[in-house]
Order: sequence, then structure tokens, then C-alpha cells
Amino acid sequence: MTNQWHDACATDDVDDEDLITMKLAGQTVAIYNTPEGFFATAGMCTHEDESLDGGLVMDGVIECPLHQGRFCVRTGKALSAPVVENLKTYELQVRDGRVWVKV
Amino acid sequence: MITNAQSSNIHMDKKQLKALMRRSDRPGLTYLAAWIALLAITGTPVILTAGSWWFIPAILVYSGCFAVSAYALSHECAHGTAFRTRWLNEAVFWVTSLLYYEEPLHRRYSHASHHTHTWIEGEDNQMPYAPIPLTFAGWVEEILGLGLYWHQTKMFVLHSLGIFSENVKRVTPASELPRMQSNTQICVAIYLGLAAISMAAGWLWPLYLIVIPRVLGGPVMNAFILMQHVEMAENQPNIVQSTRSFRTNWFFQFLYFNMNHHIEHHLYPTVPFHALPDLSDKLGDQLPPPDPGFISTHWEVLKITIRRSLGRNDRSAKIRQAFSDDLTGAQNDQSVA
Repeated sequence: MTNQWHDACATDDVDDEDLITMKLAGQTVAIYNTPEGFFATAGMCTHEDESLDGGLVMDGVIECPLHQGRFCVRTGKALSAPVVENLKTYELQVRDGRVWVKV
Repeated sequence: MITNAQSSNIHMDKKQLKALMRRSDRPGLTYLAAWIALLAITGTPVILTAGSWWFIPAILVYSGCFAVSAYALSHECAHGTAFRTRWLNEAVFWVTSLLYYEEPLHRRYSHASHHTHTWIEGEDNQMPYAPIPLTFAGWVEEILGLGLYWHQTKMFVLHSLGIFSENVKRVTPASELPRMQSNTQICVAIYLGLAAISMAAGWLWPLYLIVIPRVLGGPVMNAFILMQHVEMAENQPNIVQSTRSFRTNWFFQFLYFNMNHHIEHHLYPTVPFHALPDLSDKLGDQLPPPDPGFISTHWEVLKITIRRSLGRNDRSAKIRQAFSDDLTGAQNDQSVA
């Protein structure tokens, strides 16, 4: 099933300025907790298909753990080499302490 | 085959790792200020003794301090881990890459391939130019850096003209090649511009403080670089088997931005240089003991290459060695294909 809302996790499951990754509808999805709110993107780096799970979230940017390619977590925009292809982003809602993602 | 902590069967608590990955400007600025102060202290005698015999020891000391840290800081900035502030990281990356003699974007992409495919022939774009395992002739070639000078000079010419080898195109997205070309043109303009201004103004300081030290300090810098993977196993996914960490004194650790913790760096390249000693402590007995000091380890490498060239036993009991068909150490080998 695609383009459906999924109850992904509790807000407490994601530490401040951190992320978790999970499979939703067959897609690897990253959910971020930032000072600006929660966001969701594809969970694999567009450069070498590395999981972003071990990456660093800082100032609204996720940095890939393998080569430190950087993406904006809000827009998915690739910000610096070695990444040039943007991350797919997903709609996200927080309801009653739960994070819902449309995948 | 991606080489990383997972492929090396190394594990670390995520919260601990995230804490080590945190960025700060302070350590990078402290190191940068200390390096500039060191260059001022060791560079002043170079200028004052020019024309006398004292110039030779003065410039040798300065050259080592200049070249090793120019390489190490450029490397740290290539990872984006030297400073938290991005523009500061990129500005220092440009300056140190110019001093190191490589266009920054190419440096970043070729180094990315080195981390993705560490010590894998045909995939890792930063393997030695000499055949490995190294013979004595190969060791001389690598220490003098002849292959590197030729390779980089060729790149400055070809990339300025928009000509890229298949090897460069393999690790660089096509959309980045125009930027690599314009960056290279900027680098060449800076080099030629500085040379022209120096000749017109009669300046000798660029020669004494940049050009000659880059060449004279090159062998020391290359010795540090060579130590990272020499005599370790090629073409397998385990970083512990392909990479070397070694002990060294505080001064060399400072010059080298803690990259003597090289296994740790390859396992978790997002951890900045200043947190590598702490990372090493936390990984504990998942890692093999580091090799002895820089000089003693490199002396052993030199002896191995000589013995190999003479057809004698090339195995050593004093430093770690690993070969693809003869991997050493029981730990962390479960992942080896």
C-alpha cells in the first residue's frame, strides 16, 4: 500500500537532534527530531546507498555517516559534495504523541 | 563492496557514537591557531637565515611542520569535520588543499572513494602508485611522492581544459565535473598569479615558505600517509585488516590531527579528529593494539620492503601485517568474505 498514513513511532522514540530509520510500505524512511520539528525523508543516502541511521543531525541538516554528504531534512535538498541528488521527503504529522508519515 | 564499521564487524553504542560525532569550532580553531603559531616560530629562522648554512636545518624543520599539517587539515576539512561552521571548514579546506597541491572538489570525491572501497584495487582512487606489496623501489617512489606530483600536475592541466579520466568520472557525478573544471582553473590562476607577482615584486617568501617546504616536507608527509594502509590486506571488506593505527608522541599527533588513530577514523569517519582518542578508548578490545611509534613502525616497513626486494622473508613480528590470502588476528574476521 502506498500514499497511506502510517503510525511510525512515538515522538519520544527519536532523541532531540537525532533520527531513526524504519521500513514503511517497503521504503526505508528516516524520521528526524529537530528544534524546528519532526521531518521525514528517504532513509538511504543518494550517493552510495548508505543508511542515514548512523548520521549526524545538526542545524536541520543530516550528514551521511559514510562520506559526510549533507542534506536539508526539511526539503531533502543535497547541500554539499559528495551528494548531488536530493532525498525524497515524506509528509509527516504529529498527533497525540505519535509520529505519522505518509508513504 | 562498501567498507565500514558494519563490514568490519565493529559495534558501538549509538548514543555514545553520536556524542563523539558532535561538532565544535573550538578544537579546530585551537589547532589552526597552534599550527599557524608553529609556522611563525619555525618560519622566522627560515627567512632570517636565508643565504647561510643555517638555512638548511631551519627549512627542514619548517617543512615537516608545514607539509604534514597542511595534508592533515585538508583531509579533515574534506570530511567536513574540522569545524562546525561550514563556511570556515570550506575556506580552510581551500587554502590547505592549495598548499597540499590538489583541487578541493577532486580531493573530496577521490577521498570518498577511498572510504567507500578502502584498499580495494580498481575501486579505491587513493591507493599507492607503486605496485603493492611494496618493494624497496616502490617505497622510494611513494616516499618521494613522484607519482603523486605527476598525477596532480596532470590533473591541474587536464581538468582546467575539461578533460577527465575514466577513473575521475567513475567517482564524480557528471553534474559536478563543470564545477571541478572551474575550481581547477581558479587553483591554477592562484598558483600562476602568485608566481607572477612574486617574480615581478622580487618576493622570495613564497618559495621559502610554501614551494620548497612542500617539496622538502613531502617525504615526511608521505611517510605518514603510507603508514595508514601499507602492509595491510587489499580487496576485502574488513577495515581492521586493511588499515593501521599506530602510537606516536603528542607532537606528531598534533601535526597529524590524530590520524594515527586511522582504523578508528575509517570505521567512523563522521567523528572529528579531536574525538578520535576518545573513540579509540571506547572501542577498546574490538581493535588490535596500535603499532609502535611512527618512526619505529616506519623503520620496520622499510626493512620489510628491502627484505622483499632481496627475495627474503617479508613477514614481521614487530608490526601488524595482513595479506588477503593470510589475514591476521582472529577478531573481527567474521565479516571477511
